[in-house]
Amino acid sequence: MSESDQNILAMESISKAFPGVQALDDVSFTLKRGEIHCLVGENGAGKSTLIKALTGVDHPDSGKITLNGKEVHVRSPQEGQALGISTVYQEINLCPNLTVAENILIGHEPHKMGRIDWTKTNALASDTLQRLLGVDIDVAKPLGSYTVAIQQMVAIARALYITSSKILILDEPTSSLDVNETQHLFSVMRRLKNEGMGIIFITHFIDQVYQISDRITVLRNGKLVGTYYTASLSRLELITKMIGRSLAEFDDLTKTKREIKKRIKSEALLHADGLGRAGAIEPFDLELHAGEVVGLAGLLGSGRTETANLLFGSDRPDHGSITMNGELVHEYSPLGSILRGVSLCPEDRKADGIVDNLTVRENIILAMQSSRGWFNFLSLPQQYEIAEKYIKLLEIATPSPDQPVKNLSGGNQQKVILARSLATNPKVLILDEPTRGIDVGTKAEIQKLVLSLAEEGKAIVFISSELDEVMRTSHRIVVMRDRVKVSEFPGDVGAHEIMQAIAGSES
Amino acid sequence: MLQQTSNFFSKIRKFIPMLSTAFLALAAYGVGAYFFVGMRNPQVFFNLFKNSSYLLISAIGMTFVILTGGIDLSVSGVVALTSVSSAVLLREGWNPWVVILLMLAMGMTIGFIMGNFIVRLKVQPFIATLAGMWFARGMCFFVSDNAVQIDHPFFQVLGKTKLLIPGLKELAEAQGTQPPYITIPVAVGFILLAVTIFITAYTRFGRSVYAIGGNEGRNEQSARLMGLPVDRIKLMVYTFNGFCSALAGIAFSVFVFSGHGLYAPGMELDAIASVVMGGTMLSGGAGYVFGTFFGVLVLAVTQALIQFIGTLSSWWTKIVIGALTLTFIGVQSVLANRKASRALTPQEMKVVRRKQLMQAFGIGIAVVALVFAVNLLFKYAPEPAAQCTVAPFRKEDAANLIKDGAVIAYQRVAGPRCVDELFGFYPDGRVTGTDGVNKVENQATPAEVEQLLTSIAVDNQWFTAEIYDTFLTPCRQCFVHYILVSYNGQVKGATGTDGTTALPPFYLSSISDLRPLLPVINPAP
Amino acid sequence: MRKFTKPSFTLRSITESRLFFPLVALSLILLFDLIFIPGFFAIESKDGDLRGSLIDILRNGSTVMLLAIGMTLVIATGGVDLSVGAVMAISASMAGILMNPAALRNEVFFVTDPYYTFQPLWLVIVAALVVAIICGLWNGLLVSYMRIQPMVATLILMISGRGIAQLITNGVRVQITYAPYAYIGQGWVILPFSLYIVAFIFALTWLLTRKTAIGMFIESVGTNFRSSFFSGINEKRIKLVVYTFCGFCAGIAGLIASSNIKTSDANNLGFATELDAILAVVIGGTSMAGGRFSLLASMIGALVMQAITQSMYAVGVPAFALQAIKAVVVILVILLYSEQVRGFVRNITAPKKEV
Repeated sequence: MSESDQNILAMESISKAFPGVQALDDVSFTLKRGEIHCLVGENGAGKSTLIKALTGVDHPDSGKITLNGKEVHVRSPQEGQALGISTVYQEINLCPNLTVAENILIGHEPHKMGRIDWTKTNALASDTLQRLLGVDIDVAKPLGSYTVAIQQMVAIARALYITSSKILILDEPTSSLDVNETQHLFSVMRRLKNEGMGIIFITHFIDQVYQISDRITVLRNGKLVGTYYTASLSRLELITKMIGRSLAEFDDLTKTKREIKKRIKSEALLHADGLGRAGAIEPFDLELHAGEVVGLAGLLGSGRTETANLLFGSDRPDHGSITMNGELVHEYSPLGSILRGVSLCPEDRKADGIVDNLTVRENIILAMQSSRGWFNFLSLPQQYEIAEKYIKLLEIATPSPDQPVKNLSGGNQQKVILARSLATNPKVLILDEPTRGIDVGTKAEIQKLVLSLAEEGKAIVFISSELDEVMRTSHRIVVMRDRVKVSEFPGDVGAHEIMQAIAGSES
Repeated sequence: MLQQTSNFFSKIRKFIPMLSTAFLALAAYGVGAYFFVGMRNPQVFFNLFKNSSYLLISAIGMTFVILTGGIDLSVSGVVALTSVSSAVLLREGWNPWVVILLMLAMGMTIGFIMGNFIVRLKVQPFIATLAGMWFARGMCFFVSDNAVQIDHPFFQVLGKTKLLIPGLKELAEAQGTQPPYITIPVAVGFILLAVTIFITAYTRFGRSVYAIGGNEGRNEQSARLMGLPVDRIKLMVYTFNGFCSALAGIAFSVFVFSGHGLYAPGMELDAIASVVMGGTMLSGGAGYVFGTFFGVLVLAVTQALIQFIGTLSSWWTKIVIGALTLTFIGVQSVLANRKASRALTPQEMKVVRRKQLMQAFGIGIAVVALVFAVNLLFKYAPEPAAQCTVAPFRKEDAANLIKDGAVIAYQRVAGPRCVDELFGFYPDGRVTGTDGVNKVENQATPAEVEQLLTSIAVDNQWFTAEIYDTFLTPCRQCFVHYILVSYNGQVKGATGTDGTTALPPFYLSSISDLRPLLPVINPAP
Repeated sequence: MRKFTKPSFTLRSITESRLFFPLVALSLILLFDLIFIPGFFAIESKDGDLRGSLIDILRNGSTVMLLAIGMTLVIATGGVDLSVGAVMAISASMAGILMNPAALRNEVFFVTDPYYTFQPLWLVIVAALVVAIICGLWNGLLVSYMRIQPMVATLILMISGRGIAQLITNGVRVQITYAPYAYIGQGWVILPFSLYIVAFIFALTWLLTRKTAIGMFIESVGTNFRSSFFSGINEKRIKLVVYTFCGFCAGIAGLIASSNIKTSDANNLGFATELDAILAVVIGGTSMAGGRFSLLASMIGALVMQAITQSMYAVGVPAFALQAIKAVVVILVILLYSEQVRGFVRNITAPKKEV
């Protein structure tokens, strides 16, 4: 069988432009039967646009899509589904208020005597989940009562049930999963692959790319860099193709870290004493010193974001207290913390970070303005001055400070949020997943920035799911597990020790 | 023990809002029946349905709209338009069945057009349906300026037929009392309720409606991505609501036997309040049609209670409905806001669930206590003076005055001093007055009486359809009036109550015109 | 190095400006008037006061303009206030009763002396506004602290508010005969007095929102309240202030409206004006989802609504038909705003690509 006959999907010369930006420029992509094909690229590379063109959410300006040798025009998601293309999105686009069974079968429920046969519906749903995915849950309960990992399984189950799907697209499915859940997902994917399904897997976790994929396609700035067999592409080569920069920068970081360590002050700037919140995190002690980067390591659900929120005051503690500069904290609120010199960059950039309608300038000065109160208004020239300063400092890519923040790419939005925190001149800076979902190049920039901020004398809390980042930037590492602070390590601890602490006694 | 009840409540948790409304409605009625003998008459209970059948029909349609996360403000406009259009068509001699079908089609068309604005042109439902309401009410006046009576026998039959309730019929006959009945619109409402309950539970369309609303608007996008024909379903929902509005309009016409563009003002708010009280959240995605039924029941019971208490004026209904809606929404919001944005650990879940249960219990008890307190308050509050019983209208006596040559006969009852006075105005300037015991007679000039007559008969358009009977239980110091006018061979009378909003436009003017000429009747010491 | 560049007046910048569409709408209506209504634009001077149809639009539109100012801020936070009409009635009832409390005794007490008032004017106005502010505060508490949806929370006051207004006056339509009070709505100092009130409130609001951080915070809270929370903005307080202010504006509007008809009519005063106010804001381009707002655009929107009403009357359209025509016009305006038409205009004014 020739190469092209193996192709279940061929996208040729796809182009798509939005006002002001060429999202896709003459991109071609193929998918074979029974293969897992990873689509990688930094933010703004065009991955989601390509997928939207394939699934009928958007229409390409030019190009051709061929399914099993026949040309198709996918005009809507319904058509896409009818053609056998199913997508599971990062945000789990299902309806949490309906039951699991309904989510799997809605639109295709079996009928009996003119009405829905619920017994059969539930049985079919349960059967699908068990047989295809190995998941055994009560399908009559609302979807919203289950974890994200289960919801994802349900989404996949729907994709499989509705159409004899030939193509399954998984868009960043592992961002909210822990290690076990990810492995389970992979075993499901392998099973499906063996049955002949073509799977497109979009992720930014390089490890996972190498664990699961057969081929890799790299996009950069809307253009196709190339398609490769995973086995014949090394990690270094892959990353180089993605960012086109050398990785010597990463090695610089370790050097800088060692130098700063000498300048860490001994007295604690901030001291958390038995701080805890029922249902969120068990009481813990933590000290932050000026000039030091403290990394929080742990799996999803271990309580890192909850810790950050407690330190920042966006959640109120039930137990314990915080002392800052020797004074006991009374007001647990974001504003109180900002006034005290503690600042947080939240985990969920879109939901908790940017105010998308406002301009870059307004986003940057927002926290600073709230610290000044309602009536002490920063004049416009002052605002522009501050905004320009940070745009330059952080190299934020925007045509002007008056650009609405929603038009920026993910990485630049993250920089804007960082700028907002920095503008308040904090002594303590808490960064919750500042590198999530952004391109490798910006990741390096941010990590370098973290260390330079520590050099200036700030105390930094650095949270990231990527352990190597934490290890590279932290002077001290705190490990959390199941909502409990488990241990602390010095920054040069070995990866193995940390993994053990994270995994716990069951490893 | 707490665990077991907690598990039980987990299962029925989704029904709690609806059940609490049902409980409130029945409890309120029960309390009312305890204090007011009149409410123990089963007919009074069934009259609740009779008086609110049109609201039930409309609220059922509104439930669907709200479940998709939308809203429809046009319903009262469509009801008014239906009432006046059918009245005019019947007057012109059209076949009543054709009229009904035409009205339903018209309602569906209006709903369909609004739905298109919302779905295809992406206009906010609030705005689109608001425009729809204005348009519908405006159209009413193109059909007819004035209220139009419905005399058609078929519609009379529809409205007046008594459907006896099996079981209770035999009971009543045994006791020798009147068997309680409901009317055809009520039965129609119940049938519609049953049909829509089936639709929401057992049809793909119904389940898709739930898929579209809820989750703060994110569900709609999810539903689209899941391949559901979201646009088509929303269109169908608004069309269906148009159908329900028109059907409600027919029920309304058959209830008041007339049609006018000003009818049912603010009904959409009652419909929305009913749906919300029935447990459906305004963001959609959750709630039961059956709950709407209880919501309508609460409104009806409130109205009945206020009428029975009697000392409260009609505007208290509005205040109480507002307060009740507030309580319900408060409960809903409190329970809903506890939802975490991410899945909780089992320990967290337990903590949250316990808190919710306590809150739900606490609020439920508070509401019941409130109902009790209100009733007790008005039963045992010291009466300022003896409750004034409103004497019946002496229409024959008034007619007799006219026969004797009076041009205007005017009876005035209740008021601050609880009177029952009948006045007669004669063309020769005499003005007589009697309260059944004392008689008095004043002499005004013939010109003044002439002026008075012209003012009422001509300026106030007494003999057009602008003037009609209205009657509501009067407030503590309010009068009720009966004015009988004879002019150019025509004789027409109309009743009215002070201080209400239902008065026809020039009725109050007529009372003001009469007042200066009234003699004072001093009661015997 | 990016410098702060002055805005250029390209065709695109004009069409993208927030004021463009409302001004287009207003121009269309005025154009209609110019063609079909002779003498519409005539302004004559009577005893130094300017009079004419245009002036009438401004005067009759003052209530809606006032309501639109308060409503703009509420809608910018992502909410809505359906109770403004009822609050108008409540404040008017309060004023009426304080000037003429004999009405409570349910006797028609005809006051003939135009200078009689039971309480001094300043007390009447202050009391009425205080009551209106309390109503706004109530709405604000429900929305911000009890987290009830704005549409529902203000619906409650909308339903029960008229009942409360009637409670204040015991159901009677209080006649207002006090001349200085009537001046509020009917006075004239070259231009109608109510216009000065509107201008004053507009200026005050503009200062409060654009010369302090309040405006930016409102827009931030309306766009994304969670992000605003993390930036230290007290969303609850902002919403409370906004709803209270809306109540305040409604209170003033109630004074003007009741002084115009010389009655405090609990049922009909301000009936359906909340809808006019919301539409004025929508025509002005502020999204009902919250975020960016423009006071000036809302005022123009209010003028558009009033101009339609005025023009229709001048043409001779009967009152009932006006409702239907308003509905049609509103739809047209909404269509102007729809994505399709906006996209069309954007394509036309797009800067030409370099070859």
